[in-house]
Amino acid sequence: MHIGIAGAGLVGRVLTLNLLRLGHHITLFDEDRAYGDKAAGMTAAGMLAVFAELESAESSIFEQGNRSITLWPELLGQIGIPEAYQQKGSIITAHPQDYGELEHFIATLQSKVKEASQIQLLDKTGIMALEPDLAQHSKAFFIPQEGYVDAQLFMKTSSTYLLSHPDVAWHQSSIVDTVQEGSICHNGQTDTFDWVFDARGLGAQTQVENLRGVRGEVFWLDAPEVKISRPTRMLHPRYKIYIVPRPHNRYIIGATEIESEDKSPMSVRSSLELLSAVYSMHSGFAEARIAKMVTNCRPAMRDNLPLIEQSEKLTRINGLYRHGYLLAPAVVEEALAKGFLEAHPPRWIDSTLEEVGA
Amino acid sequence: MQVLETKNTTWQIGGKMLSSRLLIGSALYPSPATMEDAIKISGAQIVTVSLRRQSAGQGARNPFWDIIKSLSIEVLPNTAGSHSAKEAITTARMAREVFGTNWIKLEVIGDQYNLQPDPFETVKAAEVLINEGFEVFPYTTDDLVVAKRLADVGCKILMPWGSMIGSGKGLMNPDNLTAIRKQFPELKLIIDAGIGKPSHATQAMELGYDGVLLNSAIALAQDPVRMADAFKRAVEAGRLGYEAGVMQKREFASPSTPTVGTPFWHQFA
Repeated sequence: MHIGIAGAGLVGRVLTLNLLRLGHHITLFDEDRAYGDKAAGMTAAGMLAVFAELESAESSIFEQGNRSITLWPELLGQIGIPEAYQQKGSIITAHPQDYGELEHFIATLQSKVKEASQIQLLDKTGIMALEPDLAQHSKAFFIPQEGYVDAQLFMKTSSTYLLSHPDVAWHQSSIVDTVQEGSICHNGQTDTFDWVFDARGLGAQTQVENLRGVRGEVFWLDAPEVKISRPTRMLHPRYKIYIVPRPHNRYIIGATEIESEDKSPMSVRSSLELLSAVYSMHSGFAEARIAKMVTNCRPAMRDNLPLIEQSEKLTRINGLYRHGYLLAPAVVEEALAKGFLEAHPPRWIDSTLEEVGA
Repeated sequence: MQVLETKNTTWQIGGKMLSSRLLIGSALYPSPATMEDAIKISGAQIVTVSLRRQSAGQGARNPFWDIIKSLSIEVLPNTAGSHSAKEAITTARMAREVFGTNWIKLEVIGDQYNLQPDPFETVKAAEVLINEGFEVFPYTTDDLVVAKRLADVGCKILMPWGSMIGSGKGLMNPDNLTAIRKQFPELKLIIDAGIGKPSHATQAMELGYDGVLLNSAIALAQDPVRMADAFKRAVEAGRLGYEAGVMQKREFASPSTPTVGTPFWHQFA
């Protein structure tokens, strides 16, 4: 089958990797260059926070998140970077004056999923054993199931993998005007396919109703004095700050959440909030170097839940909001099962039958 | 069945006739869809929206504001995040442009952590804004003298706190709130901040306050939509109770020895 995919961000790539495994030919269109950084998936910290994200999300995120956690190792193995997947658990803490936030957090989780009972309460000794650098805190939660995907490594490696794959044609810097049933109109020209996927994120705004952008700002810090090996969140009455480790003492610090489609550089207010919070977590961040300040917009629907829209020869996936890496593999799997795979059952079924017949 | 109607089914604030006495915030909901549902079920006819935090990049589209506007209820923009009269005034002017209203919830913060209002800067800003034709809804503490100063500069509405923003502790000092009510029978008084549960809202209305403004108590509830419904009823109950006239408390002596089982005529023997 020849399949067209509009949007080579996180969803477009996860789709492509899935469809390649089924033996299809893919043509990708994206407004950015293959190694560009416009996609929200390039800005993401890549947290697989099945529980922690539940605090302000619907319970459906929990099942999809858990499903994704089982799917990521295979996807990352497919492009040769199994090390981009880390599942060593995550830490949730707060300053002593904000311990009330920890109570609220755990109460909310417990009201949403029964599995929240698996979350462990750590005292100073417990924190010391897992993350000695955070031992100034005397209370934290440990969520063993959580982890992260090195989002930037995934984006970079998947670019290389897909660009060199014989079954992939990638139209870079290509403006998609519309995505219709079985066709993609780009730069004024219309190409037809056996099936098309619209995975353009905010780029699909003219064709997906009620899709909005939510501004987010993150720092990349190089902090040789800091050794934190697990995603760590600090709860605060007004901000929710996370620290997500990358190799070589790099940390992604995020993220603001502002209801605006503004992609202009980070504001002073946001930078003060993020940096003072991270410094209060670990004084070793004082001498960190700011490697990058990034602003982007998350595509979100009104209910902040993913959208899967199916019609004849067309599937639209959008609105992964702040849960891109947490949800993409599961949402893509679900979208394929409901639409494309129903119309075109996997080829291996035929070949198995042939083998049996032979 | 006879349906009881409140004596005063509509009331007036800032030049508008309204029937709901619940003012609702638009922050902290799990999603805009939940916010919409919660606001609808609350019956609130005034929604507050924060301008400062969301205003980076004036040119950018702001779908969230479009959602707020599409609710077709009165929008009360606030100056949350302002730390001086000057900042608050700038934000108020911006809000007038964005939402086409002269209403402004004046909020000048004096303490970064507690978000306690700065009464000095609030009075200063209120005076300037009233002169510019704004209908000022000032967020203040339960201090009677601050309330007087705000009334002196022309505020027709006062919004004293129940307790600190987001604390959910309810009415920390009902006596002060009652004193403000008694002092200013002609002003519209709204309890703003500190409400944690529906009974707090009822209590505020029983004190004779004209309305209650809250956000976290609904948005952070495990089921914001149900909680919005609960607050709708709580505010109505409190108002109805106030209008019905609460019975006078009786100063019975509290016995120092247990009197359970004592026939009542013996108690006075």
